[in-house]
Amino acid sequence: MSVDCLGSHAVLSGRRFLYMVNLESPSEPPRKIGRQSKWDVGTVQWNPHTAEAHVFAASSNQRVDLYSWRDGCGEVHTSLQGHTRVISDLDWSWFEPELLVTSSVDTYIYIWDTRDTRKPTVALSAVAGASQVKWNRKNQFLLASSHDGDVRIWDKRKPNTAVEYVAAHLSKIHGLDWHPDNEYILATSSQDNSVRFWDYRQPRKYLNILSCQVPVWKARYTPFSNGLVTVMVPQLRRENSLLLWSTLDLNSPVHAFVGHDDVVLEFQWRPQKEGSKDYQLVTWSRDQTLRIWRVDPQLQKLCVSDVVEDLMEGMSLTVESEKALSSQDPGEQDSGLSAGGRQDAAALGSGLPQTLQQEFSLVNLQIRNVNVEMDAVNCSCVVSAHFGSHQVHLVMKFPAQYPNNAPPTFQFVSPTTIPSAMKIKIQKILTDTSLQKVKRNQNCLEPCVRQLVSCLESDMTQEDDPTSSPFVLSNPVPPSLQAFPRVTNTYGSYQDANIPFPRTSGARFCGTGCLVYFTRPITMHRSVPPTEPTPRSLSALSAYHSGVLTPMKMRSESQSTLRLYSGSPTRSDKDTVSISSFYYKERKLPISASRRWSVQTLHDWPKSRRFKPKREGSDYSNRPIKLAGKVIIQEISCLLPVHKTLGESYILNMNDIQDTCQKNATAALTAGRRDVAKVTTDSVTVYVQDLSPDSDPDVETPWARPPVWTLDHYSQMSDVQTLAMLCSVFKLKLRLQTLNWIEEMTRSVSFSSYQSSSVTSGSCSSTSDSVTHDYLEPRSDIWYHALIILCNITVYHTCLFFFLCLSVGRDSEHPNPWGYTDPREREREQHDMNKRLLDPANTLQFDDFKKCYGEILYRWGLREKRADVLKFASCPPEPHKGIEFGVYCCHCRSQTRGTQCAVCKRLTFQCAICHVAVRGSSNFCLSCGHGGHTSHMMDWFRRQDECPAGCGCHCLLQSTF
Amino acid sequence: NYLFACLAQYFTVTEFQHDAQMDYYGTRLATCSSDRTVKIFDVRNGGQILVADLRGHEGPVWQVAWAHPMFGNILASCSYDRKVIVWKEENGAWDKMYEYTGHESSVNSVCWGPYDFGLILACGSSDGAISLLTFTGDQQWDVKKISNAHTIGCNAVSWAPAVVPGSLIDQPTGQKPNYVKRFVSGGCDNLVKLWKEEEGQWKEDQKLEAHSDWVRDVGWAPSIGLPTSTIASCSQDGRVFIWTCDDPAGNTWSAKLLHKFNDVVWHVSWSITGNILAVSGGDNKVTLWKESMDGQWACISDVSKGQGAVSTITDTQQNEQ
Repeated sequence: MSVDCLGSHAVLSGRRFLYMVNLESPSEPPRKIGRQSKWDVGTVQWNPHTAEAHVFAASSNQRVDLYSWRDGCGEVHTSLQGHTRVISDLDWSWFEPELLVTSSVDTYIYIWDTRDTRKPTVALSAVAGASQVKWNRKNQFLLASSHDGDVRIWDKRKPNTAVEYVAAHLSKIHGLDWHPDNEYILATSSQDNSVRFWDYRQPRKYLNILSCQVPVWKARYTPFSNGLVTVMVPQLRRENSLLLWSTLDLNSPVHAFVGHDDVVLEFQWRPQKEGSKDYQLVTWSRDQTLRIWRVDPQLQKLCVSDVVEDLMEGMSLTVESEKALSSQDPGEQDSGLSAGGRQDAAALGSGLPQTLQQEFSLVNLQIRNVNVEMDAVNCSCVVSAHFGSHQVHLVMKFPAQYPNNAPPTFQFVSPTTIPSAMKIKIQKILTDTSLQKVKRNQNCLEPCVRQLVSCLESDMTQEDDPTSSPFVLSNPVPPSLQAFPRVTNTYGSYQDANIPFPRTSGARFCGTGCLVYFTRPITMHRSVPPTEPTPRSLSALSAYHSGVLTPMKMRSESQSTLRLYSGSPTRSDKDTVSISSFYYKERKLPISASRRWSVQTLHDWPKSRRFKPKREGSDYSNRPIKLAGKVIIQEISCLLPVHKTLGESYILNMNDIQDTCQKNATAALTAGRRDVAKVTTDSVTVYVQDLSPDSDPDVETPWARPPVWTLDHYSQMSDVQTLAMLCSVFKLKLRLQTLNWIEEMTRSVSFSSYQSSSVTSGSCSSTSDSVTHDYLEPRSDIWYHALIILCNITVYHTCLFFFLCLSVGRDSEHPNPWGYTDPREREREQHDMNKRLLDPANTLQFDDFKKCYGEILYRWGLREKRADVLKFASCPPEPHKGIEFGVYCCHCRSQTRGTQCAVCKRLTFQCAICHVAVRGSSNFCLSCGHGGHTSHMMDWFRRQDECPAGCGCHCLLQSTF
Repeated sequence: NYLFACLAQYFTVTEFQHDAQMDYYGTRLATCSSDRTVKIFDVRNGGQILVADLRGHEGPVWQVAWAHPMFGNILASCSYDRKVIVWKEENGAWDKMYEYTGHESSVNSVCWGPYDFGLILACGSSDGAISLLTFTGDQQWDVKKISNAHTIGCNAVSWAPAVVPGSLIDQPTGQKPNYVKRFVSGGCDNLVKLWKEEEGQWKEDQKLEAHSDWVRDVGWAPSIGLPTSTIASCSQDGRVFIWTCDDPAGNTWSAKLLHKFNDVVWHVSWSITGNILAVSGGDNKVTLWKESMDGQWACISDVSKGQGAVSTITDTQQNEQ
């Protein structure tokens, strides 16, 4: 986008057309200039000289096209070709209307004379590709270019080398701008979240730095003095506002141009019209909206921090008006809206300096228990507040210069009843608050009153007898909550653009079988239609908040809520944005039926509200009732594949697997009666029960009948998973001969999922059993698939436990995995099998398995069960290295090791019976300290109850432990 | 098929909730909200007794996290006020145990690591950094900071369970397994990142790209002994992805789209056995998801708008009964 030097046209670049917007009547449909190119337009810029005002240059890949725009149509009149790579930037000279500079990633910077378009008149060789190039505004020979984080200053008369190098930033420079009045100063904006100001004669040290929290796309000087406008990097898509800064005070922006619904891609100042004191900023956003912002002298003066001017001029409330043009809904002009928004901004007391009269008329002091009588003629006001038994009357007097660095005075008058210490305290707080404000030429009445109220409320609540009900104050909301409402739920500042929008609902699995979830109350509605997504970041709140009139459209540009988050929030007025700005509550009370509800009623005022000298403190009916949300704990253990009842009742006895299985089966049956969900569970366990008696390898016809029955049973039920599971369980303990049988069996139920090739022999590491067993080749992915299936079935728990039993079985110290595959996995399985064979040492995985099960048991509080399981882990806990009780010598109190004290050489602990130094098992009385060898003490106290040392202590009674 | 009778316990709380979490045993509930407080309720036997009202934050509190009970009753909370506070109960009274102020912007997420690593807390902040706070005894906390973990900001952190990665790497049996500290984070750069501690230094292990907008939450599924790692991530773009890694070295992660919601998804949470995922977002709804036999994720329940009613839950595996 570019605005011509007459301020009448803006050109917008598209791939197929260039659009010409008439800024005088932006609602007119834009005119088009067609172009034939497969490249997008890189940069477009009007010639800044009135003589050549009809000319603009547009870069397109390696070429620059010069267009002329006359009488409503435009055409390319010439092209400049010379660069070999894409052109990154171009700039018309401020002094010679024919000179144009272009920069490219081909490392050259060319200066063209448009009268001779064949080749550039000057070529500056930069070695590195340039991203930006800008002519100096005061010196016709100088120009600056940026290369990643560096800036080079060139004199076009010395093209061979740069005049100066400035290592400006560590990250890429996105924007470069020369100071409009100072030949030596320029500003650079960079990916490293800062804007730096340079005098290129001192390239080592920047003059000043503006730290932003986000990468800065462009920082440009304003045409009026000491101003700077920044925009964020568009790719971030977070902050749609332009910020206006005073270069004299970079701590916080003086203004934000809020309103774009998408990131700002380009902005330019429209040349000032004759006789107009206003400047206009034209901005172009990615959402295809062009906006024109008016910056009137008041706003301009904000950039000049210490100039005190007569602000009485320009009583108009409309500081800026806005003309929006969008391709979707053209011709939207809503200066009325912006007037409303502006008024609101003033009401929030954070914006621009106003006269006292204005402030009085706009201030919002609708606070419970507080009356403010304002007297604009005498420049004073009386704040009267009553809290419980206390009353406060405070007179504020405003000096003539207020609010330009002239704070009001505060004085308590009778019948103030608060203690004098508190008066002093409050006075100090108020003075601080007001100073803070007037230093910035801002109004301070509302902040001061709010500060006063919060001080009073917090003190009163402290003083309150804890037993006294907060409701005695005849208001429906406890004051302890009242004391904080303005800060408890505040958000705000433009930096919140990178803080995610708060969750207001959520769900979390907790404990073992609970789902905890919380939601917004159903009475809370979003202030946007449900089709619009919830905003991304917290900064959106301020936009919703300020959008008093149409939260959906956000056409207001109030900057009222844009404040820096400064360390710890104090109870001031500063942040008034709340999440409630986004959600609002349906209200049934008629009084506010016409108003959009919000926690802060600040902005509920109708636009046309008139000056009221006195405010009644009784209008509380539209005070918010506290928002109420719900947290719900839901029992969902029925959804889980593990069951506490089973966990409780299952036992694990490695010495007698048969017995274990039987008992577990019974347990499952018992549980099963109570819970239908576990019917399958019992079956499996029943199966186990059936199977186990025959699992003795020495039985001649192993597995004779029970397995057949079981398999049939399950195939009838078409419970593929369970069947599959059982097959895999079988193989666990198969010997070679049974394997063949199983193979037959499984084939008969079309389940032959393994191949005989996978059967290899391995020896069992068992010590007790010398017989060599032949095991199925343990395979990791089989194991894996089996478990995947297990996780998905409700018999998981039982199977898991059954596996545990088997993995710790008596003749298999190294547990075997399962040789099973699901038919659906069969093909892949077979392929995998051919690929590689796996070593049997996956004990660590089994350990994990046990550990996880143990963890679940622990959550259920079944600690002993957990210990039962975990003692079978393959890696036992580290053996302890011996334990020794520290002994203090009873004579010299020094710490000793062994039986003899190293300091006093006496025996540290002598047996009261045998008088020998005690080492090893000992007992002593906690009361008198005497004691000795355990056996001696046992003998003694079998017959006696007094201390053997003769001290008279009844040791047995004294130390009943 | 059958309907589950679900017992639900209702709470009424003030202000907007930002998180609610029960302790390890499911006996206590901690909530945090925009009124700057953290509240702890005793919820045993269906009751709801306010046990503690923890005040100390100066801004809305975003998230809470209970530590493993072997360290005592410890709760961590993080807030807009850039602070992380660790609270501890001693003799029935809750008090600040530690306050961490090392972040420069809102702290959005806290998560305690597996107990095998001791008391270790990961915190993700909008300043882009992730802090790892390790309790070293004697009121001392060791702080490690990963600066610029996510450009613009980090929104969520979640620890990996302490299991042997891949579980099938040859490790000598009978020895204490060598667990590697790992966690996952999600941020405003639309990325999910995996971090790993190597020789005491935190290193970026993996970068998972699939989301087209800010990642709002990540959840590493608890292990049930499978040699697979699973992570769920959700984003402003309404998508929930399930990331799985079967590779023992942990290098190849594949993404599967669980669902695309119409509004932002704020939170994902895994059940204890890692087979059900609870998803919640800006539409004020909670849905439960389960992976079916053929690897597809299916919604098994829809906890509808604030009503607390779980509709029919059909367990696909129970169809024979």
